[in-house]
Amino acid sequence: MKKQFKFIGRHLVLLLLAVIWLIPIVWLVVTSFSGYKGINTAHFFPQTWSLDNYVALFLRPDSVVQYKKWFANTFVIAVFTALISTIFVLMVAYTMSCMRFKGRKQLMSFGIILNMFPGVLSMIAVYFILKSLGLTNSHIGMIIVYSAGSGLGYLIAKGFMDTISNSLREAARLEGASEAKIFWKIILPLSKPIIVYTVISSFLVPWGDFVFAKLMLNSGISTDWTVAIGLYNMLNKSLVNKYFSIFCAGGVIVSIPISILFVIMQKFYVEGITGGSVKG
Amino acid sequence: MNNKFFKAVGNYFKEFGTAIVKGDIFVKLSLLFMGAGYFARKQIINGIIMMLLEVVFAVMCVGYAAPNLAKFGTLGTVQFEQVFDPLTLTSTVNDYDNSFQILLNSIIALFLIVVFILVYISNVKTVYRLQMDQKEGRHINTFKEDIRALFNEKFHITLMTLPCIGIILMNILPILVLIAVAFTNYDQQHMPPSALFTWVGLRNFKNLFTNSATITFGYSFTKVLVWTLEWAVLATFTTYILGILLAKFINDKKTKWPKFWRTLFIIAIAVPQFVTLLLVRNFFGDTGIVNTICANIGVTDFLKNIGLVSKSLSYIPFLTSPGWAKFMIVMINIWVGVPYQMLIATGVLMNIPEDQIESARIDGASSFQIFRKITMPYMLFVTGPALITDFVKNINNFNVIYLLTQDVFVTSNQALANSNAKEVDLLVTWLFRLTNEYYNYKMASVIGICVFVICAAFTLVTFTRTIKGDKEDEFR
Repeated sequence: MKKQFKFIGRHLVLLLLAVIWLIPIVWLVVTSFSGYKGINTAHFFPQTWSLDNYVALFLRPDSVVQYKKWFANTFVIAVFTALISTIFVLMVAYTMSCMRFKGRKQLMSFGIILNMFPGVLSMIAVYFILKSLGLTNSHIGMIIVYSAGSGLGYLIAKGFMDTISNSLREAARLEGASEAKIFWKIILPLSKPIIVYTVISSFLVPWGDFVFAKLMLNSGISTDWTVAIGLYNMLNKSLVNKYFSIFCAGGVIVSIPISILFVIMQKFYVEGITGGSVKG
Repeated sequence: MNNKFFKAVGNYFKEFGTAIVKGDIFVKLSLLFMGAGYFARKQIINGIIMMLLEVVFAVMCVGYAAPNLAKFGTLGTVQFEQVFDPLTLTSTVNDYDNSFQILLNSIIALFLIVVFILVYISNVKTVYRLQMDQKEGRHINTFKEDIRALFNEKFHITLMTLPCIGIILMNILPILVLIAVAFTNYDQQHMPPSALFTWVGLRNFKNLFTNSATITFGYSFTKVLVWTLEWAVLATFTTYILGILLAKFINDKKTKWPKFWRTLFIIAIAVPQFVTLLLVRNFFGDTGIVNTICANIGVTDFLKNIGLVSKSLSYIPFLTSPGWAKFMIVMINIWVGVPYQMLIATGVLMNIPEDQIESARIDGASSFQIFRKITMPYMLFVTGPALITDFVKNINNFNVIYLLTQDVFVTSNQALANSNAKEVDLLVTWLFRLTNEYYNYKMASVIGICVFVICAAFTLVTFTRTIKGDKEDEFR
């Protein structure tokens, strides 16, 4: 009897915690179906229900809401960022993990220190450098911002490649394979999990980034924006009472693909982190 | 380690010296014409490439480096002027100096010059090695073989080139610019192109630690710094401990459907942070829904009675009064951070050697004792370095603070407001608003350097562990 009591208690606690964690999400979803456009301050659930926010989001673009355009912009930026970042990360990871050359350790240490320098700090300088190249307010500029320095994030991928057995590469070398061939034909196929992780995590960057996008895309032309700044703009004091529910609808739509990718990525993230450190 | 470093540098120049002294006429000619040594050894294409490089560098020096570096000392002297000609109805702009362009171009030029010198030195060494190879009858690579080497034993050069260029452009160059700006008076009154800015030495650093009637940066800096560290400690440890506890709770054998519970928590963090944080900000707004509910069930009055909410307010200032805002930020950060930690801890917990726990249990240890003596030490051992990384990340946790308090929190502290800071600001958010809203680049750069020093200090702790104790070859 006492055991049963404890069992129920344990699950009640979990349930309570889960509710706390899900309240904001539930609020987001129900408000996105609200018939009232502003913030509902009196009731948790909307009084009138409607699909109008989603209709407005996709079918009635105006000077504030350009959701389809934002989504397309962010998608294009994200695809290129993922592509370039993944290539860079894999190149650096392979070099650091599999090749031996003078100055390798120094280069690695330097990379780690450099990576600790928060991007927010040098942001202004980045902005001016891109401005002098004429790349602010352009999506190419955004892709450069997100992917150019990505080689520094090589550690997880390197940790993974460190676990691939040496004998494979040695055997290939004995048969006359060049280093490039080993990279391409042996290491890359074996690194699939970490490639998936790198692709997804760099793909997610432009969707979640807010700081750089706000700084770089500052023309005020809403069709240039990414989803993050577009949605942030809706909460402007002068707009929030007309657009809050639409903001929620936009949040729901962007969350669906992102959370699916996030869940897939987490699996690899945990593997990467624990795999590396436990064995070491 | 320092000794080793100086030795390496010494060797570097010694080799260069030997090459010059012992090299034949072609090696010496290479000092002037970089390709000479290659032509002598029939590496025609290498020679042409080196000659071209030299020409390009010379052109760069004359056309780009020299004009910019000449003005580097003053950062420009010609003020922007616009003259309107009433006859032709056009305005002409004089040939003005843009201080920022001069600064940026000079740094790039200096960088290129350093790179060229390195290439130059290694070039002389290479042609000397070619001379030795020839003398001793070793094989000298043809151009084709050189290319092939780039995909074989020199593959690392091929792989690293592009990522390094990217890192130099996006990481190193901006940091250099940032450091330089900290020594200038670049702010709203000195904004190129319409105005010039110039070097001011250490004045900005002095200002950061000055506290007077007009300059309150000293006061603000201390306050913001203290809160930044408090926040980093609180945010790191609350999420870490609670994450582990949650993971243990869910993974316990007595819990049914662990996967289901885990998924529920993951859903909460899978939604992009800017969406949830902006939403939560409105959730806890002064006229927001939580306030309505609290007023209805009497929580607001209760808090007023025990003095946690000022009597003059009709709402709970969740994100608008300093004390409440700090509390809420930490709480909301727990909400954001615990599921992440839970995920990581789950992975680690699954790897704890089962037999240790089993034998402890047989010896009669309570589950609390097991947690304290086995689980926690193990967790700390595995995730210790990550803990310090998290701490540094939290020092720079821009999103949580900015998204929750921007446009909502207004400071009433005049001294803070004077230097554009707020009670809830971290160093990074302060820096961001200084640049983005007040164009005070000089102070932002100084603060940036301070943050870097703080982060670097903490990083060095982890760094020595991860690099020095690197066991990369052990498990192969």
